[in-house]
Amino acid sequence: MILLQEIIHQLYFLMSAVVAVLLVGRLFRRKTRPGLAYDIVYAYALIPFVLRALHIK
Amino acid sequence: MSTYVTTSYTLAAMVAAFTLSSWRFKSPELAMVVTALVGALVAGLGFPAHLFVEGTFTFLDLAFIFITACVFMNAYSEVGAMNALVRAMVTRLSRWKWLLLMVLAALMLIPGALTGAGVVSVLVVGGLVAAVLRLMGLAEQRVAAFVFMLGILSAVAPPINVWAMLMAAGANMPYVGFDWVLLVPVLAVAAATVVYLGWGAVPQSKEAILAGLPPLSPKMTWWRAAVPLGILLALALASKYAAFAIPTLGFPLIFIVCTIATVAIDPERRPFGRWLAVTNDTVEQVFPLVATMVSVGVLVNILAATGVRGLIAISFVALPIVGIYATSLFVCPMAQGALGFGSAVILGTPLIFVFNAVGANVTVVAAAFSMLFALGDCLPPSRIVGRTAIETVGYKGTYASFLRATTVPWLIMGAVALAMLIFPGKVAFLVKY
Repeated sequence: MILLQEIIHQLYFLMSAVVAVLLVGRLFRRKTRPGLAYDIVYAYALIPFVLRALHIK
Repeated sequence: MSTYVTTSYTLAAMVAAFTLSSWRFKSPELAMVVTALVGALVAGLGFPAHLFVEGTFTFLDLAFIFITACVFMNAYSEVGAMNALVRAMVTRLSRWKWLLLMVLAALMLIPGALTGAGVVSVLVVGGLVAAVLRLMGLAEQRVAAFVFMLGILSAVAPPINVWAMLMAAGANMPYVGFDWVLLVPVLAVAAATVVYLGWGAVPQSKEAILAGLPPLSPKMTWWRAAVPLGILLALALASKYAAFAIPTLGFPLIFIVCTIATVAIDPERRPFGRWLAVTNDTVEQVFPLVATMVSVGVLVNILAATGVRGLIAISFVALPIVGIYATSLFVCPMAQGALGFGSAVILGTPLIFVFNAVGANVTVVAAAFSMLFALGDCLPPSRIVGRTAIETVGYKGTYASFLRATTVPWLIMGAVALAMLIFPGKVAFLVKY
């Protein structure tokens, strides 16, 4: 059970990394909500996913 | 200068900043972060980077749920399973108009009830339900109102009610005993909504309704459509009732498992590139919601650091209890429109303490406030569910005409919530631990 729980824990870090990569992709190649305002929103919305993926927070 | 005065002009500056930036940027998410920045500067905190970064994490778990739930539901729709489900309903129930409307309402309640986000219900099943509703003779504004109302009701429905969870967490009370006290009012309001919006509609024939839906893959059988939903139900129930026998998966991972199951049951065997495109589109579709969660987290953190959160909470909760009854139907939805789920933290938690002090059943009170907050999902600046509902159903009328169509069910929901708030003892029997 402890091993399974640890695997699940690591999967969540992996999930953060995947979401971060997807958000970076959408930052540069999105079809909706163009413009500088949403460039900024995409940029700061990335922060928690990147920091979580890198085990910083 | 007293703390009260300092905090008051910080609040005034934040209100001004929010109004101006909402108008200038046309992005409620960015407006919230700019407001937080202005609040921190005016309160003399400078640029507290650590508070900003910590704030982005406040609702990260909810953001994960939104993303994974939408990926699952979009994958489920992509393979044609959702279409198969709706077609099966129409085929079996088209003779009974009210029963079909009630089942469509129940279908709308499920995704939001499982994820805690009304917008997930709207995004995932709203489009198909709207197609059926149109063919059942409902006017366009009523279709949008139906999708919106069931969307917000799905967010209130158990097992996941984010407002109640946040209020419970803030007030140090366990999130237990909410199932029936949330489900019964939600079903009552849903039934009233269906009756009001469906009244006078003249449905087309079964064949016409089926012809109006997207074509169904012949290989999509009922058991294929049932497998992912069965897994979702099994894992959700197991995590609730066998919590000590299985590892804690969490809703995001449960949705990922269901997505994998959906890909596995795909009769067309779509290539990896197609699934990547579905995932990318989903992330773009759900992004406003994710950005709102991140931005609200930042705003709530700065509101707390500057003392503005306390000022707002104390100003509202210092009202006599009758004043809270009188203003809740206005203040709570407005707070939700401005702060999203942050409203439950800023207003909801202090209110739980107030009602606890007068001996009310706080589980009922939290359930009632969650309904009142949900009503604000059609109000500016965020309008998150309202905006998504009209986009999903392709409503071409004005936003005001959409709001007019929702007025009666909106007021019914507000009246039910207020009745629960004023007479919590009368429905306390629904609180089962």
